[in-house]
Amino acid sequence: MDRFDNELQDLLRDYPMPDARAGFYDEALLRAAQEGARRTRNRWLVTGFGSAIAAGIAIWFLSGVFMTAPTLTAPDADIPGVTIALEKTNTVNLVFASASRLDSATLTVVLPEGIELAGFPGQREISWETSLNEGKNLLPLKLIALTPAGGELYARLVHNNRDREFRLRVDVS
Amino acid sequence: MSIPDENAVFERLLRPHLDRLYRLAWRLTGSKAEAEDLFQELLIKAFGKLDQLLRIEEPGSWLCRVMYNLFIDERRRFTRRRMTVVDESHLPEDGFAGVAGDSDPVHDNERLQQLKRLDRALAQLSEEHRIVVLLHDTEGYKIAEIQELTGVPEGTIKSRLHRARARLKEMLIADGTFS
Repeated sequence: MDRFDNELQDLLRDYPMPDARAGFYDEALLRAAQEGARRTRNRWLVTGFGSAIAAGIAIWFLSGVFMTAPTLTAPDADIPGVTIALEKTNTVNLVFASASRLDSATLTVVLPEGIELAGFPGQREISWETSLNEGKNLLPLKLIALTPAGGELYARLVHNNRDREFRLRVDVS
Repeated sequence: MSIPDENAVFERLLRPHLDRLYRLAWRLTGSKAEAEDLFQELLIKAFGKLDQLLRIEEPGSWLCRVMYNLFIDERRRFTRRRMTVVDESHLPEDGFAGVAGDSDPVHDNERLQQLKRLDRALAQLSEEHRIVVLLHDTEGYKIAEIQELTGVPEGTIKSRLHRARARLKEMLIADGTFS
């Protein structure tokens, strides 16, 4: 072991992490009891996606759930993806699942070059304020591919200074 | 068991392990939001298995294993590292808040900069290397404990640890942290 090994060991030993925020453990215990009891009651309803989380927000991109949805791309893709048809209106369903009701959340969708949201021509970033109900909230996005390039769509959900950003690969066929 | 009793038993059983579990969540995920998610999901799962938990001799170890499995399952399911972007720095500034404040401000600042460079270097490691080096060298887990937690063979853990340290050293020499 040389001097650098010792220095690295010292540095790693000192590598910090922030403490849990005040009250977090109490909140988490309470939510676990509430959510745990609810899940036990509703076990038959559990879909397999389930993940109630600390922020109260989870998001999944789903397609293929509805008749209007585009086809799923290859299962080995690194990020979730959909394939949409060129120059047609394609509905991509985003499902937001929330452990509790969220008022005044801001949702921002950033579109890749060459893909537009129907009704918002020329806009690549669209934000709006929304409320989420407890459970699943469906957001159908009507996408139009103007070029075959495709790209990544970003969706950011902000609530009470907490935010989550997710990516969806959009391929065009 | 009535609901209030159940909640009280759950809390009494879990509370002694919360710090350890939160630390593990942080080291696994490397971000506050994901750590809180993982921690919360574990507690919810644990509540549903309260009867089983009451019969377990070492609930802390069991909870850590369940947390690790949840983490791996989530990674497989959503490939979250790629989905949850990129803007969230690996270790927020408040993680460094306790570093400064000793008697020697020059040394404090130098140490702070070293730790920030370590943070950046850790972010360059593969997830499996980052986790093993943090659990072993930062959190003080023994190899056998990491094996029990992850199910990864001892030899593989040692190899990952060796490679992770070597890579960190290389990066920290290259950026002038070690000279």
